[in-house]
Amino acid sequence: MTADKRAWVSPVLAKSLPVLLLVAVPAILFVGILLYFTAWALLFSFTDLELVGRKATEWSFVGLENYERLFSRRGFLESLWTTVTFTFFSAIVGQSLLGFTLAVALRSYRGPLKTAIEVSLMLGWLLPDIVAAFLWSATTSRSGLINQLLILPLGMEPVNFINDYPLTVVIIANIWKGTAWSYLLYSAALDNVPREVVEAAKVDGANGWQRVTRVILPIIRPHIGTNMLFITIWTFSYFPLIFALTGGGPGSQTEVLSIFLYKQSFGIGKLGYGSAISVAMLVIVGMLSLLYLRLLREPK
Amino acid sequence: MMDNPNAPSRTMAIALAFLAVIWVSPFAWLVSNSVDPLATGHLRLPAAVGPDNFLRAMSGNAARQFWNSMFISAGTATLTLIVASGAAYALSRLRIPGRNAFLWSLVLLRMLPPTGILVPIFFAAQGAGLLNNFGIIIALTVLNLPFAMLLLKNFFDSVPTELEEAAHVEGASLPTILWRVVLPMSRAGLAVVWFFSFTGAWNEFMFPLIFSRSEASFPMSIGLFSAFGRQGAIDYGYLSAFSIIYAAPAIAVYFLLRRNMNTGFAGVGVKG
Repeated sequence: MTADKRAWVSPVLAKSLPVLLLVAVPAILFVGILLYFTAWALLFSFTDLELVGRKATEWSFVGLENYERLFSRRGFLESLWTTVTFTFFSAIVGQSLLGFTLAVALRSYRGPLKTAIEVSLMLGWLLPDIVAAFLWSATTSRSGLINQLLILPLGMEPVNFINDYPLTVVIIANIWKGTAWSYLLYSAALDNVPREVVEAAKVDGANGWQRVTRVILPIIRPHIGTNMLFITIWTFSYFPLIFALTGGGPGSQTEVLSIFLYKQSFGIGKLGYGSAISVAMLVIVGMLSLLYLRLLREPK
Repeated sequence: MMDNPNAPSRTMAIALAFLAVIWVSPFAWLVSNSVDPLATGHLRLPAAVGPDNFLRAMSGNAARQFWNSMFISAGTATLTLIVASGAAYALSRLRIPGRNAFLWSLVLLRMLPPTGILVPIFFAAQGAGLLNNFGIIIALTVLNLPFAMLLLKNFFDSVPTELEEAAHVEGASLPTILWRVVLPMSRAGLAVVWFFSFTGAWNEFMFPLIFSRSEASFPMSIGLFSAFGRQGAIDYGYLSAFSIIYAAPAIAVYFLLRRNMNTGFAGVGVKG
């Protein structure tokens, strides 16, 4: 924002203010709906509302009962831990670190290998969630691709990965699907790093590792913060891939919070409890976001 | 390539090639199964090559699901763009105090897992008789709006106001200025938002899962999910062909808008 002396509305627009407000009306309406629904979700979390039956119409306020249940009943804390594991390994370790490594490795490299990697990363990212789920459920099944290419040639018994190591499969599938975003964002960020600075560090005797950690990382820190913010939030409440791949199972081994919430709300029909779970998720996501935003804002 | 000191070393090149193979092999599996009328779910050179799977995946239920998806996605993208651009322009040009904080808090609010607001949305849609594809369009537009407005406001911010002022001095009215000056100059931003909304809605799984009451209104995501989730023998050839058809529009839109996308990414990175 340039600090000029203009008022809150420029002379160009002063006379057309009604038109301007008119084009904004639909958005105001829709944002109103969003706020209304959010407030409603908050309100529901203090009630015993259910999907069907008597309590679907004659619900009543139960105070903090739903919130107490989060900690006193089995389910929520286990699911939170699954979600944290999933988010940490698939988003932060997998997508972000792998994306960054690839962006650094392929920087200023032109050739068929770079194109091949970029195109396949992008294809994974662009693929609809359910297609990715179909691919990974087919690849990791007993008769699937991994058994065919790796396990059987080594003379071992076929492994039903999707059943035996469900969380690992889900994490790898999400890395496979989501790394493109981090890679693209870091590539764009690396393009902003002046080549002279890196060259100068090289002349001064910094090795590859030092050039990355001492020169490049500090410069692109805001981009890292932005990326972490986005992918953590997405991954934390990611639903379709996991749900279509495992349905949260076997048992509840891959039951991340979004699936737990879905099952409590629409499977069992406890909408009040489901709302409390979503409020808890909002609080956790909000705190994580503030953490990253601090990282983003902090002066060098 | 050898002269370039930044080119990866041989070890690095092998590691990268290995990674590329891992990334590509599921696609190779998908394609080989889709063209093989006798597909078994194994990776192999097709026993026979024929369009049978694709023909089956383009007729009957599959075709109807394709058009349902198209309707939901194009509807959501267009409605999002119309609703968001007007408000984003106003937010960009009017110096309302706290507008950035307002937009960011909306975006943060939107981070509420959609599963959470699903409960009130479901109730409202049920009450309004909107448990159908129109309801999905409206619900997705509501959810898209904060991010779309933030992105578009950033784009409008980057359009110099001098041009609008010049047009104003020449006597152009606001609608003319918007149509003739602002829109053409922010085409890249508009395209990015349309693309994001289109693919988002095209991929959408959860809302159709709850909103779609009849098999006739299923989009492709639900169609595919219910087909491979079924017990018994999986028809790999058909599902592979179906998957490719389902994935194609999202991929095609991206490559059509690729140049605009890069501008969009830069915008997100710098201003986010």
